Amino acid sequence: MARPIHLQAVDKEYRTAGNTHVAVDDLTLDIPEGSFTTVVGPSGCGKTTTLRMVAGLETPTDGQIHFGEEEVTDKPPQERNVGMVFQSIALYPHMTVRENIGYALKVKGVDKETRNRRIEEAAEVLQITEQLDKKPAELSGGQQQRVALGSAFVQDPDVLLLDEPMSDLDAKLKAELRVEIQRLHKEMDATVVYVTHDQTEAMTMSDYVVLLNDGELEQFAPPGELFDQPVSEYVARFIGTPSTNVLDCTVERTADGLALTGHGLSVPVPDSLADHEGRRVKLGVRPQYLSPRSGDHELRVTAEVIEQLGTEHVVHGRTADGTPVDVVSEAVADVDPGDEFVVGFDRRRVFVFDEDGDAIALGEGETEDVTPR
Amino acid sequence: MASSRAAGTFLPQRVQARIKQLAVYVTAILVSIFVTIPVYVMVAIAVQSPADVFAGGQVHLLPDAVTLRNFRVLIEETSTVQYFTNSVIVTASSTVLSTSLAVAAGYGLTRFDFRGKTLAARAVLFSYMFSPIVLAIPLYVIFYSLGLLNSYFALTMALTAISAPFAIWLMWQYFQTVPIALEESAWVKGAGRWRTVWDVVLPVAQPGYISAAIFSFAVAWNDFTMARVVMSQDEMYTITVGASLFLDRVSIGWGETMAVSLLVCIPPFLIALFLQNYLLQGFSVGGLE
Repeated sequence: MARPIHLQAVDKEYRTAGNTHVAVDDLTLDIPEGSFTTVVGPSGCGKTTTLRMVAGLETPTDGQIHFGEEEVTDKPPQERNVGMVFQSIALYPHMTVRENIGYALKVKGVDKETRNRRIEEAAEVLQITEQLDKKPAELSGGQQQRVALGSAFVQDPDVLLLDEPMSDLDAKLKAELRVEIQRLHKEMDATVVYVTHDQTEAMTMSDYVVLLNDGELEQFAPPGELFDQPVSEYVARFIGTPSTNVLDCTVERTADGLALTGHGLSVPVPDSLADHEGRRVKLGVRPQYLSPRSGDHELRVTAEVIEQLGTEHVVHGRTADGTPVDVVSEAVADVDPGDEFVVGFDRRRVFVFDEDGDAIALGEGETEDVTPR
Repeated sequence: MASSRAAGTFLPQRVQARIKQLAVYVTAILVSIFVTIPVYVMVAIAVQSPADVFAGGQVHLLPDAVTLRNFRVLIEETSTVQYFTNSVIVTASSTVLSTSLAVAAGYGLTRFDFRGKTLAARAVLFSYMFSPIVLAIPLYVIFYSLGLLNSYFALTMALTAISAPFAIWLMWQYFQTVPIALEESAWVKGAGRWRTVWDVVLPVAQPGYISAAIFSFAVAWNDFTMARVVMSQDEMYTITVGASLFLDRVSIGWGETMAVSLLVCIPPFLIALFLQNYLLQGFSVGGLE
């Protein structure tokens, strides 16, 4: 039965030779029951450590972990009814696929007949019925990954943890397995926590995304909110490809009220930014929201490199002062490297960050929308 | 020509390949000459009667008539069977003991953190550098004071002392190649530590501990020093010590000595024949390929 996961002020420190390394710092999360939550962030941000603490493979230095009402902080992994798929897949090389999938059931003392029935059901779901009597070494990478998923699926866990399960697969297999994992999530009654460094996986698969930055929680929100209402420059830059364009501007009072100026722009902003008058701020706008033939505000960009992505093109360019700007659009096909062109954007699509990178105005400009971190 | 050369070489790759092949053949031939000829001489003398071997004042290495006479003499007139049995007993005990120690130590050294771990590991490797004779005299003193001389137990211990350091080192290396995720995956599935060791660790480490066992076997079976020091009664001699003393007797000649040598060679030969794949697997992980 799926259970919600609560992390309360969890810390994890590693001490080696007198040095203390903080892997996870004061992390508080409430992962809803039955949801698909992705933990994402760059290498070394503490996402795998977080997952291993939920699994019971690491004990937090401080803080508590609850599954529903039950505290599991100090419980060993054997007593948590957790399913886990490891980055290295971790199939037992000496067992057949059938034995690998059924191992959890065997440990629990399920009789052979029931075991076989459930193994075959899982194999059916994952389309590996024909591989059941082979050894893992005889399977392709994608099939091995399916077996690993099957072995976690068959034990009917309350919580299913996946630690970068697709990092070694090629792009096509990734796309296939992504669908497979989501299908599996619908079939099972479990809360899924998925760790990845690939923000595309995070955005496409999940109900909620946890973005970590150097062991600390940056933002915990549904993918759409992360994309449209990032709480910081870090989130805006990490989520979405290519990365959000960030332009240095200054808040100035003009005849029409407060505005962001710089790079030839003058973007009106609400009075809530009055505190920042005269200060330097950063204006963020996603490459997807820049377009050559539309928008209230215009920016001159010199194209450097152009990449074609099917119908769309990505233009990597720079403004007059050398700030890099990327544009994703179908309407830039005729731009060549070296060309100067004008792109426009809507005021509603702009993020404003203060000097520390915290969001102070988003979209329409209402600071009320910004969830404090 | 320049186009067929790889970067940084003066010779075309085809010439290099040929030189390499030639070098391999020359080495192989030299090694087989030095190994095969003595073995052949041993077999040839063992299967002929002494009268035939030395007929005409020259050593006769192409047998005209094959006979088991030498083996019959060994069995009827000497304690060869007893020696052989002694060897089998101490070799088996020492192999089991040394391998078990190695598996336990290797698992512990790779899976747990404890104070002095690096020191322990270094000490193991350091103790491997001692020649058996260095240990032999102190061990003799220990066994003498404990009244354990002339016992299988004492010799088993002494042999394990020689073979265990390398076996431990081998298993330590091997366990480093066994991903800990395999064990963690079993824990998450509900298996306790012991069950995990039994179901996952031991099967996966099999090539490793078979190599360690083969090594321990070879040390124990071929040992002369320890057996000579610990055993002083004729009925406790191992086959190596027993055979070396044959030539001192009037009734035993070269034929019988070569016959007993042949017997000594049989167990290692069988092991090499059946377990060679494991041996290579285990040692290649240990970086000894």
